[in-house]
Amino acid sequence: MAIEVLLVEDSPGDVRLTQEAFRGANTSVHLHVASDGVDAMAFLRHEGSHGSAPRPDLILLDLNLPKMDGREVLAKIKGDDNLKTIPTVILTTSDAEVDIVKSYQLQANCYLSKPVQLDEFETLVKSINDFWLTKVKLPQQKSCA
Amino acid sequence: MKNKFPLDRKIKLAFGSAILTLLVVGVISHHAMAVSSESDRWVRHTHEVLEHLEDLLGSMQGLESSARGFVLTGKESYLETYRASISRSEQEKTIVANLIVDNPTQQREIPILERLAARKIQLADTVITLRKTTGLEAAVDAIQNGEGQRIMEDYREVIREMEDEEQRLLVLRDANAKRRLDQTRGVLILGTLLGLFVAVAAGWTVQRDSSQRLFAEESLRESEERYRMLLDGVEDYAIYVMDPQGQILSWNAGAERIKGYSAEEIIGHNFSCFFPPEDIERGRPEEVLRITAASGRHEEQSMRVRKDGSQFLASVTFTALRDSAGNLRGFSEFSHDLSESEESGAKYRGLLEAAPDAMVVVNQAGEIVLLNVQAEKQFGYRRDELVGQKVKNIIPEGFAERLIADETRTAAEALAQQIGTGIELIGRRKDGSDFPIEIMLSPLESAEGILVTAAIRNISVRKEAEKHLAQMEGRYRGLLEAAPDAMVVVNQGGEIVLLNVQAEKKFGYHRDELVGQKLKNIIPEGFAERLIADALRSDEDALAQQIGTGIELIGRRKDGSDFPIEIMLSPLESAEGVLVTAAIRDISVRKEAEKHLAQMEGRYRGLLEAAPDAMVVVNQGGEIVLLNVQAEKQFGYRRDELLGQKVKNIIPEGFAERLVADALRSVEDALAQQIGTGIELTARRKDGSEFPIELMLSPLKSSEGTLVTAAIRDIATRKKAEANLLQKVEELNRSNEELGQFAYIASHDLQEPLRMVASYTQLLSRRYKGKLDSDADEFISFAVDGASRMQRLIQDLLAYSRVGTKGRELLDTSSEEAFQQALINLRGSVQQSGALVTHDPLPAVLADETQLIQLFQNLVGNAIKYQKSGIPRVHVSAARNGGNKWTFSVQDNGLGIDPLYFERIFGMFQRLHKREEFEGTGIGLAICKKIVERHGGNISVESQPGQGSTFRFLLAGNEKKS
Amino acid sequence: MIIEVLLVEDSYGDVRLTREAFRDANQSVHLNVASDGVEATAFLKRFGAHVHAPRPELILLDLNLPKMDGREVLAQIKNDDSLKAIPTVILTTSDAEADILKTYRLQANCYLTKPAQWDAFESMVKSIHDFWLTKGKFAQQGSRV
Repeated sequence: MAIEVLLVEDSPGDVRLTQEAFRGANTSVHLHVASDGVDAMAFLRHEGSHGSAPRPDLILLDLNLPKMDGREVLAKIKGDDNLKTIPTVILTTSDAEVDIVKSYQLQANCYLSKPVQLDEFETLVKSINDFWLTKVKLPQQKSCA
Repeated sequence: MKNKFPLDRKIKLAFGSAILTLLVVGVISHHAMAVSSESDRWVRHTHEVLEHLEDLLGSMQGLESSARGFVLTGKESYLETYRASISRSEQEKTIVANLIVDNPTQQREIPILERLAARKIQLADTVITLRKTTGLEAAVDAIQNGEGQRIMEDYREVIREMEDEEQRLLVLRDANAKRRLDQTRGVLILGTLLGLFVAVAAGWTVQRDSSQRLFAEESLRESEERYRMLLDGVEDYAIYVMDPQGQILSWNAGAERIKGYSAEEIIGHNFSCFFPPEDIERGRPEEVLRITAASGRHEEQSMRVRKDGSQFLASVTFTALRDSAGNLRGFSEFSHDLSESEESGAKYRGLLEAAPDAMVVVNQAGEIVLLNVQAEKQFGYRRDELVGQKVKNIIPEGFAERLIADETRTAAEALAQQIGTGIELIGRRKDGSDFPIEIMLSPLESAEGILVTAAIRNISVRKEAEKHLAQMEGRYRGLLEAAPDAMVVVNQGGEIVLLNVQAEKKFGYHRDELVGQKLKNIIPEGFAERLIADALRSDEDALAQQIGTGIELIGRRKDGSDFPIEIMLSPLESAEGVLVTAAIRDISVRKEAEKHLAQMEGRYRGLLEAAPDAMVVVNQGGEIVLLNVQAEKQFGYRRDELLGQKVKNIIPEGFAERLVADALRSVEDALAQQIGTGIELTARRKDGSEFPIELMLSPLKSSEGTLVTAAIRDIATRKKAEANLLQKVEELNRSNEELGQFAYIASHDLQEPLRMVASYTQLLSRRYKGKLDSDADEFISFAVDGASRMQRLIQDLLAYSRVGTKGRELLDTSSEEAFQQALINLRGSVQQSGALVTHDPLPAVLADETQLIQLFQNLVGNAIKYQKSGIPRVHVSAARNGGNKWTFSVQDNGLGIDPLYFERIFGMFQRLHKREEFEGTGIGLAICKKIVERHGGNISVESQPGQGSTFRFLLAGNEKKS
Repeated sequence: MIIEVLLVEDSYGDVRLTREAFRDANQSVHLNVASDGVEATAFLKRFGAHVHAPRPELILLDLNLPKMDGREVLAQIKNDDSLKAIPTVILTTSDAEADILKTYRLQANCYLTKPAQWDAFESMVKSIHDFWLTKGKFAQQGSRV
């Protein structure tokens, strides 16, 4: 069964890396990409071109996004009764205290800092896959996948 | 009617104006007379002139006729007449000329007359000569020529004119004079009328006044008459008036009837003759007058003597008579015979009944003749049960005896001795119970002789109170004895009535040696005086002023030695009156202390002057009591300008307030809170400029109470330095922050593209290794390598900047634990190299834990890394370095370092080895240095190439732990 | 540096297991244990005896607890502004969809079902450690948050 993962990331380089990393980790993962906050919300709400978008099992969210900042996206997700049960993992370059705290306050499920080294990055994605997509119990979809 | 002026003024005024008027009239009359006499003169003058003019004419005519006569007769006698006429006419002419000298009009005629006269004489002479010489006919011819006649007629004409002129003038003058006379007359009449009028007015006013006076006198006389009639009408009462000496001035019918004297017999005599002889001897009449004069009115009931010598009891009222100025003019007496008056008796009975106290009237036999309802109540008897009974029945003892006349004194004398005094006796009720009473006696003269009125007051309550008081006194005495201080009770006479055992000891006397003695014996000065009521204040006032205050005096022991004491006074009410209790404390010790204190103060003053800081001593009122020369300089005042001034003048805020006792705390507490602490305030110089100061306060006990010594330090420089420092710190902080931000941004933003480069080159290398040619492989590997190094450099740079920006507070940290953590972090390389890492017990230090771990990690990591072959050995130890500091040592057996590079290695990105030899960015030691310096220490290295290295760094321990 | 973890678990056996697993993974982990919801809340809010309790960086919460149920503890945590930023991992026997959904709705950071076997359990704990305590980022010294 395909695992739907929404990656909200504006850096195409990082997108590709993530894709590569997931490819190496778990081929069942279906990685969707939104390159800014507005697009992400549209995807989640099945608006516009995302009318038939699947509901993700996991959201990987970068904080530094154009248009709508990742923090705002997080707040919106967690403020939406419909969306707040989707585990949202912050995956961002910043390891600033204030970002970490803010994210947890906004009820991000987890905060991860993107490593600078490629291999570390790959390992991280593996861990994400290992933990979240294998071990953790995710809430079932409302509608049949 | 109101008279504005007093009568005599009016009269004066009247007379004055009359006289004035007379004077004026006189002057005017005089003037009139002058005028009329003048006009008389003029009339006379005119007549004179006329007369002489006629004479002149006559003489000329005479001349003519005598000349003609001669001509006719030739007789010599006519020539004589002729010559006489000429001289006469000359004379007359001269007279006339003199007379009219003031009249120029008339004077003009004179030369004409002269000419005419001369011509006539000439003619006449010619004619005469002719006659003499020629004869008659020639002369007659000459005459008949007629010129002579014509000249005569001219002459006559001139004379006539002159006469007319004179007449005219006369009329004019007459009219003038008449007019002036009329005027004068008019004024005269007016003046006379005015004078008359004033005289009449004055006379009328005077008349009116005197008629008023007469009227007043009349009415006075009338009222006097009426009064006299009234007086005379009164027969029941004697009413008469005396002069201040008591001589009788008036008498009425009543007086005649009561006293028996007629008016003629008694007026002029002294009223003392009405008094019984014994009273006269005693000077009672004079006394009565004196009393009356003093109080204005005096009433009494006493015996009087009639003309026939019989005595009677009279009720007499004397009144002092004063005039409007308050001077005593005499007395009036109003009296009546009591024995006649039923009314008075009844009135008396009424008074008796109404009296609040029990009243009993007793006769000389000791029997009750009269009593009131209160007496009935008090004694529990009915009136008729008591009247006629012996007074002994209700007052068993003490009363009756007092009244009995015996061989030694008359009843009157006995009575006199008892009058007024409150006598304490026992009263007995009907039911036999006794109760304490106080009786006040007063005599009552009656037809039956002298009775005694006794006012009886039930004093059971008062007796109770007295008993209670006595009890209290007893208790008080007990307290007195027990008091720790010497206590002495003194009466108003300054005598000791009570003292306690402490007093005995203090003064070295036995109790009975002091009781009854003057206080002055033990306190020579200062006490007794304070208590005496003098003209200025009563006892109570005197006492009130002294109560409570601790007064310092000198006490004198029995042996004559003196010692300083402090007394505290308090009043004590007792049956004997107000007494004064004095608590006497021996203050010799205190006095010594005070002397000592004064000495210390002296020394203190010396110290104060010598102090390098400005010193100011302030009292509890916030006033400066002492200052030193430094203070003068600091504040720019002279000493005397500051002494006694409020300290607020030089330290406007913050000082005085700190010292003031308020409802919350006493001065001592306030002070205690401030002592020692360096308080920063603002001070003001004399010129008004302000400067920052630091105050250090300390208390100073003195005889004036607790004073505060303030050491004042000018901290302007310090403040400036502090401000400077603050500024610098701020700048530093800011630049640090900027740096941190920069470092963060730099690394963060640089990381991103770098990550891309590094990651993709790695992916490239991974995926396409072997698929491209070896050059490509090499190129890619260089690229990958470069990117990786770049990443590491940036990370290290970030780490370096974070030492400052992410540094945390230095807290008590276990360097032992930090070291252990560092080892855990180095686990990998430790295992890999097989290094042996040992350590000595490491102390607790003030540090940022994370950074301390980093420090150990870097140093130990380096120690392990920079090795040849073999087992790396690393030893970490710490040694105390004076007081609270620790020198840590990280010793290794590694490559060692050439002393040339001891400084350089701590620089940024400084490496001593090629990249191929040892990896690393060269920032590790720079980070270590930054960390150590941040902790207030320093780092150094001891090494020789090939002999390992020892890195040493200094850290401070926690002050609180030893 | 000690990592404080709060384990809310009433089964002593499970506590022991968890402790062993953590010790193996990382000796720096300090495991605090509360055996019921009330104690857990008291520990977190520093009431009574727990006035000096450390602030945990991670909460492992069982749902079935005596006195106060785990869901309620979760609700308490996520409703308390000073506690809601602490990642709370549900570690419970149940795998009921209702429970999973409910807890995600209550903003549990993630939901894990306790494996029946020891080695699987150990492995799970290790993954938790690996993911949350190694890779996951936390606010340092939570009390300063």
